[in-house]
Amino acid sequence: MTRIFLHPLPIRIWHWVNALAFIILILTGAQIKLGNAIHFFSFQTAVKIHSWLGWLLVFNYFIWVIYYFSTGNIKIYIPPLHRPVEFAKKALRQAKFYGWGIMVGDENPHHSTFENKFNPMQQVSYLMIMVALIPLQLITGMLLWDPKLFEPVVNLAGGLQIIDLIHVFLWIFFSAFIIVHFYLATLGHTPMAHITAMFTGYEELHDDHGHGHGESHEHGHEEHSESHAQDKSHSH
Amino acid sequence: MCKKKFLSIFLLVSFMLYPMYIYAAKAGSAENNKLCLQCHLDKTMTKKLLNKEILSLYINGSEFAASVHGKVSCSGCHIDINMDNHPQSKRIQSRSEYALSVSRNCSICHTEAQLNQRQPIHKALAAKGPCIECHGSHYIRPTAINKAGVQENAYCLTCHRNKISMRMQNGEALSVYVDENSFASSVHAKLLCKDCHSEFSKTQHPVRSFNSRRAYTITASELCGKCHKEAAKLYEMSVHIDQLKGGNEKAPSCVDCHGDHSIASPKKDKNIGIVSCNKCHSDMSPSYEASMHGKARIKGNEKAPACSSCHNAHNVESAKMTTKIKDGCLKCHKDAAKLHTKWLYNPPVKLSTFSIAHFDAVSCAACHSPNAERGIYLTLTSRKTNKPISDDELTKIFGIEPDVLIKKLDSDSDGMISQKEMWNIFAQLFKHGVRVTFTGNMDVQKATEAHMIASKAEGVKDCDKCHKPDAELFQNVFIVIKKSDGKPLIIPAKKEVLISVYSIIPMSKFYVLGSTSVKLLDIIFIVALIGGIAVPIGHISFRIITSPIRALRRMGKGGKK
Repeated sequence: MTRIFLHPLPIRIWHWVNALAFIILILTGAQIKLGNAIHFFSFQTAVKIHSWLGWLLVFNYFIWVIYYFSTGNIKIYIPPLHRPVEFAKKALRQAKFYGWGIMVGDENPHHSTFENKFNPMQQVSYLMIMVALIPLQLITGMLLWDPKLFEPVVNLAGGLQIIDLIHVFLWIFFSAFIIVHFYLATLGHTPMAHITAMFTGYEELHDDHGHGHGESHEHGHEEHSESHAQDKSHSH
Repeated sequence: MCKKKFLSIFLLVSFMLYPMYIYAAKAGSAENNKLCLQCHLDKTMTKKLLNKEILSLYINGSEFAASVHGKVSCSGCHIDINMDNHPQSKRIQSRSEYALSVSRNCSICHTEAQLNQRQPIHKALAAKGPCIECHGSHYIRPTAINKAGVQENAYCLTCHRNKISMRMQNGEALSVYVDENSFASSVHAKLLCKDCHSEFSKTQHPVRSFNSRRAYTITASELCGKCHKEAAKLYEMSVHIDQLKGGNEKAPSCVDCHGDHSIASPKKDKNIGIVSCNKCHSDMSPSYEASMHGKARIKGNEKAPACSSCHNAHNVESAKMTTKIKDGCLKCHKDAAKLHTKWLYNPPVKLSTFSIAHFDAVSCAACHSPNAERGIYLTLTSRKTNKPISDDELTKIFGIEPDVLIKKLDSDSDGMISQKEMWNIFAQLFKHGVRVTFTGNMDVQKATEAHMIASKAEGVKDCDKCHKPDAELFQNVFIVIKKSDGKPLIIPAKKEVLISVYSIIPMSKFYVLGSTSVKLLDIIFIVALIGGIAVPIGHISFRIITSPIRALRRMGKGGKK
């Protein structure tokens, strides 16, 4: 069994703070919006938790920004759009894997490494989420948090109702996304493989698994990754 | 024909020569005056009148001789005196009655037509005032000379201290009497009459004509703006001037609140902001008096707010058409925004702006009149000017008659604006190039309830009353359109307008957490959740179904391996 280092400490912290805050924000958001159908919290409590966690997410987002931009690792989020055909083929192959290959025991066409963590589908969706959707959710949340303080921006957007519309649409999207995201996280070589990796930073590789990461030795990923992992583990 | 012409000329000449004839006749008797003066040169000669007044009968002979009537015989004016039986005992009630009766004799020479031609003001005065009041009695001179040394205001008061009146075109009589004492104690005591009545002076007294007393009052109020420019500017923005312009003559002008000649300084007259309002709005008085504010004032706290403290003195706006009333509250409650953050805030910091965001959409009374019935008022507002669009503007834009405007807005004529009708108003105006939005605010429904401000402890602090779907305080919704007379046109709306997808764009500036949440989005949320759960369940199901295939491949039976 070999291990591959995928998730550095700042990103693991960022991820789990993000995950917890998101779940609670989704629930308190539901309480605020559907107050006559849901009774998890009182309105006041829901709003207070929502506000605290909203600001926590804003600061947490900067952990992600500072880490990825200062290390230059932000490149793992950038799809190779200069080779669109190759990228599209890879994305299609990945989609085919999740739709069919995974069922019949095909090998996962993507092998995660520290420098190439995301498969093409992850790359596109996480890029959208991290540079567009989360910032948009945070900004609209801030505008709703104190619409008078940010009045010029609210007016520029056409009014608070429009801001709320965006915030609610994204709430709907993230609510569905987080369910799918959690399921996909169980699709490692064992259901807990990806999840454990998000705690420890290391993903364990097994030669005999059907669809997990780094099944093949052909590309020499393992050795490269291992050496990198060791380097990285020293640094942590 | 020739005969007729001759007759006309004869009559005209005779008419013109008549006063000269009379004058000559009297002049001829001037010598007789000496006879009268034999007695009346006595300075002690007096007569006791029935009201106990003493009337001097002394005549200064030389002064009389120098007057314009110097050559007129005494009996020319005192036609009732006959030397055969003079002096006789005459019963005279008072000096004023005597002055009036003697003045009637002036018209023997000074005909009404002649007086009116020379100085038209005589027409109004002759009926009431004795001639001698202005011109003197025996030493007759033109008024301007007679009163040459008299101070301007005293000159005017010569007549206006009397209870004289002016006849309006509709037959009403307008008193033009000035109470000297109240004027002298007014804030304007040091002003000259002509400072306000600029068309009038010692030499000018134009005759004006007004339809009614009210028309005169309204015109007279325009004079105030000469000095009180700021107040006049503010008044021009008020619902009162809009009402006046709209034809409601009962709407107040300056003098209706401040009075005319007895104007008191608002600094001294602490109740002007209540008393003057109550002349029309007395129905508000009981609720005001029952409020914290009214009670404090009744107790003698002069700083307690009066009507004008919140509604302003001059730029009074319709309470439903303005958000400025809260400015009145904030004049005293300066720290209100900060104080509200004790409980009204979003963590992690307490910002006054968060309170102000609420103040912008909720009237103070909506929370602080705890028993009032509230409503959500959605005012049709221009996005360009940020001001309400009036019914006049709407009829012009739509090219319709004013009486069909309601039908145009409430197209199904059910007396309520639905979400689709709201969208139609927005869309039709958009087609005409007019960008509008329905700005919303919460207010109490009845004006009387708006004044019943209770103690701080009784104010609404429960967020759930507003911030929840179908919230208690969001049951009554109204569309508001400004009428050109400054008042609001209020049309009930279905409460669904607050949560309809049709309202997102027309009502994009009015958002209340929880209670204006679009219903459709809730449905999309449920669908998305079901979709999100369905993906893993479906995928797992397929993986379970296909698990034998994977098992086979792992055992090397049919797999790539």
